Amino acid sequence: MFQERKGKEHMSILTGPMRFHLDGHKELTAHKDVLVLEEPDDLYIPLVNGRAACSPLVKEGDEVKVGQRIGEPTDGFWYVPIFSPVSGTVVGIEKRMTAALKPGDHIHIRNDHKHSATRAFREFDYETATREEILDFVKSAGMAGLGGAGFPTFNKYTKPEGIELFIINAVECEPYLTADYANSMANPELMRDGALALLKLSTAPKGLIAVKEDKKDLIEVLHKQFDGTPIEVAEVPDIYPAGWERTLIYMLTGKRYDRLPAEAGCILNNVSTCIALGNAMKNGMPITAKYLTVSGDGVKEPQNVIVPVGTPASEVIRQCGGYVGEDCLLIAGGPMMGRTIPNDQFVIGIANNGLTVLQHREPFSVKCLRCGKCTETCPSGLVPVRINACEKIKDIDSLKKLSVMDCIECGLCTYICPSKLDVTEGVRRAKRYMALVK
Amino acid sequence: MKLTFKPSPNYRNEKSTTGIMKDLGLCLCAVLLYAVIYYCAAFGAQYGLRVILLACDAVVAALATDAVFYKFAKSKDIMKDLKSSYSIITALILVLISRIDTSYFAMAVCTIMAVYFGKLVFGGFGQNIFNPAAFGAALIMGNFAASYNVDFATGATPTQAASSIGWMIPSGNFASFISQYGGLGRMFLGQYPSTIGSTCALLILCCGAFLIWQRDIDWQTPVFYICTVFVEALCIGLMHGAGIEYALFNVLAGGVLFGGVFMATDPVTTPVTIPGRILWAIGAASLTLIIRLKANFADGVLFAILLMNMLTPAIDKLFDGNQIKDAAKFRRNVLIGGAAFAALTLLVGTSVKPKGETAAAPASSGVPAASGEAAAPAGGDVNFGEALPMTYNFNANKASCVIDGEENNTVRYACEAKGFGLVTNADGDYEMNQAMVVVDKSTGKIKSISMINFGDTAGVGDMATSDEALAQFEGKGLEDEVNLVTGATFTTRSVASMAQAALNAAQED
Repeated sequence: MFQERKGKEHMSILTGPMRFHLDGHKELTAHKDVLVLEEPDDLYIPLVNGRAACSPLVKEGDEVKVGQRIGEPTDGFWYVPIFSPVSGTVVGIEKRMTAALKPGDHIHIRNDHKHSATRAFREFDYETATREEILDFVKSAGMAGLGGAGFPTFNKYTKPEGIELFIINAVECEPYLTADYANSMANPELMRDGALALLKLSTAPKGLIAVKEDKKDLIEVLHKQFDGTPIEVAEVPDIYPAGWERTLIYMLTGKRYDRLPAEAGCILNNVSTCIALGNAMKNGMPITAKYLTVSGDGVKEPQNVIVPVGTPASEVIRQCGGYVGEDCLLIAGGPMMGRTIPNDQFVIGIANNGLTVLQHREPFSVKCLRCGKCTETCPSGLVPVRINACEKIKDIDSLKKLSVMDCIECGLCTYICPSKLDVTEGVRRAKRYMALVK
Repeated sequence: MKLTFKPSPNYRNEKSTTGIMKDLGLCLCAVLLYAVIYYCAAFGAQYGLRVILLACDAVVAALATDAVFYKFAKSKDIMKDLKSSYSIITALILVLISRIDTSYFAMAVCTIMAVYFGKLVFGGFGQNIFNPAAFGAALIMGNFAASYNVDFATGATPTQAASSIGWMIPSGNFASFISQYGGLGRMFLGQYPSTIGSTCALLILCCGAFLIWQRDIDWQTPVFYICTVFVEALCIGLMHGAGIEYALFNVLAGGVLFGGVFMATDPVTTPVTIPGRILWAIGAASLTLIIRLKANFADGVLFAILLMNMLTPAIDKLFDGNQIKDAAKFRRNVLIGGAAFAALTLLVGTSVKPKGETAAAPASSGVPAASGEAAAPAGGDVNFGEALPMTYNFNANKASCVIDGEENNTVRYACEAKGFGLVTNADGDYEMNQAMVVVDKSTGKIKSISMINFGDTAGVGDMATSDEALAQFEGKGLEDEVNLVTGATFTTRSVASMAQAALNAAQED
């Protein structure tokens, strides 16, 4: 029944399309061989896993093996334990710049390149296990939202009341990124196991795996894996932000919700999370390495790489042939929502899925012509042009009416702006300002 | 090697404001080119050349205004400022909404006014409140009426003719009225005199489709604007016994299509949200009709756009919010606002009567004032409009006279001249108008005129050949003036041209 909705417009005459097809440049990396990165000699594992702070379980001089638990979360909600990505010796706890451009504690491991591994978990059969057992496994295996947010996966499933639909997000709508695609093509069975385990966990009677309609070969693979299971393949149009959960749920079910997808009876997880869970159940290994897209016109050899967690970005770029051009933007993630980081010393974390390197060119920008394209494409239904205008004069009442806080900073307003203004940045300023006055 | 910080996103669409303006300029040039061809074919090469020169005049004036302004504003990079001011678009629109008899001087002054007071003083492109071209054109109409170049007269435009009879054409007279312009079909193809750019409806619609397809303009504004004009005109027409052709005439005549495609879609001066634009378009369409029916201007499009420009900030505020969460509120606002505009227009529509009827039953109700500055006292069936000096250039009429008889100082001339049909090359069986003009040679004044043969449109032009209309020539000389008969401008001119020819002939003898 969801197949019927493919590409259907739930559009009112009073709103724009609230989305836009953009050139993904995915051909740069999608069909190239995946490079298994040479492991660096020194790895630095941040002690903050996403937003989950951890305390170290190892000390200077300890020998560690691949998959060994080396960090325990200090918070019950943001619970994502840390595992060693390589075998070697702990050099110590060191302060290093993080991707947030702040100094943070990292466990420094000297790699012995022996790959001696310890099986972190026993073999786990989700079909015989109870729901509580699966939940416990997901929690202790350090599963987190691998689409970029790093939200602890188990948290979504603690109260699955009224959940009617489980959605696997294999859309990957960020331009340039193909890591999820490459991962899914390489590990379809792990993906199926992880997805079916999460479906059971969600208590939903059926599931959907959402994928962009232009990825024909992946769709074929998905049909092979999921036909005959309660999970159906749902093709979505090649638009941005098809992978944002609100847009995705709206396209698949026609429902809008206020805060959480559960209000629309849905639970979502990224396809990479399913693969990681499948890997943990079958091979007993946590997330020690990541599929990472290195792409853009600022890097010599754009390609997908498999990289151990804790590898500095500079090392990844070096092994991809280095930078092209004299002035580059190094972006953690894709160019729409990823942050530029003016320092390549930060390390790859479990939630990273791409490094986009673009040559920096200032666009020719002119004054706002009030064309309203930002309004027509905003997936949150906001009026960015008015928010920018009201932010300039600090018109608090209008900003309140304009529901500034609903912005997810997807970047579409800046992308679409024909006058080449930094519209999203203006909305961000408004959000920061409104957070202060509240 | 340097790594730079820039806030996300760092990815941009190729479509640029300059690209949008280029497409817009391309379409405006296409409309201009059509005008050149039409005027060349219908009136002669000097008319076509004049269109080109007017456009050059306006473009040079616009660029010069920009350059001087930015020079005095101590701009760091004048070329960049010129490139991002897009005044050429303003200049082209201004030319296209002017009449061909506008003098070069008036065109230049209005372009300078439009660019400077309409745009630059507000802070340049993107900051102006009023559509700069509409602002400039309002100045032409208001202040430079005397600057029209009479050598390039093309006769009354459909809007002027319609305005002179109160924009209400009873269905019985519609066919003969519209036949002045070759029928709705020829109006659609644009073979009639009007403002330079409003001629070819088909071409303007194609331009609109192209711009929408290229995402240069939104589709809501032109579609809602044109459809609202059509629907409201249809309702008003039905109230007075006029059919669908009256609604079509309202859409095709004047600036509705040109304004709807090129001016109402000016993003700078219209609301930013889609519901806002829809309400704006309904409002502009309603005001267009109200101005046509009730005000003194020949057409309502310009002032409707300028008035709605003033409401743009208010409409923007009305639709501040979240388009998803406040969808119900927005829908309600559009419905209430749109209904209010429509109700107002229909209310105005009910109180309108064709001027022909009102003359028969004078002082009955809210009768619209006669158009034109010098409304002559009217009686019977004839309404007098604008003044027409006897020295007017009647070249187009090709009047000629021969002496028919002479006694004492009184000479009888048998004259003939082209009337509406022959001047405008309209389809149909038109003949020369022929009249007998009696001139008193001693005083140089006309004693009487009587028609011998009437060759123009029956039911329209014959208002100018009624006894009452002809009586106004009695006692008039070359230094005097008469008044145009409203609704029969061409025929009045034809008769007057014969009178002028007779007076000239009498002087030469």
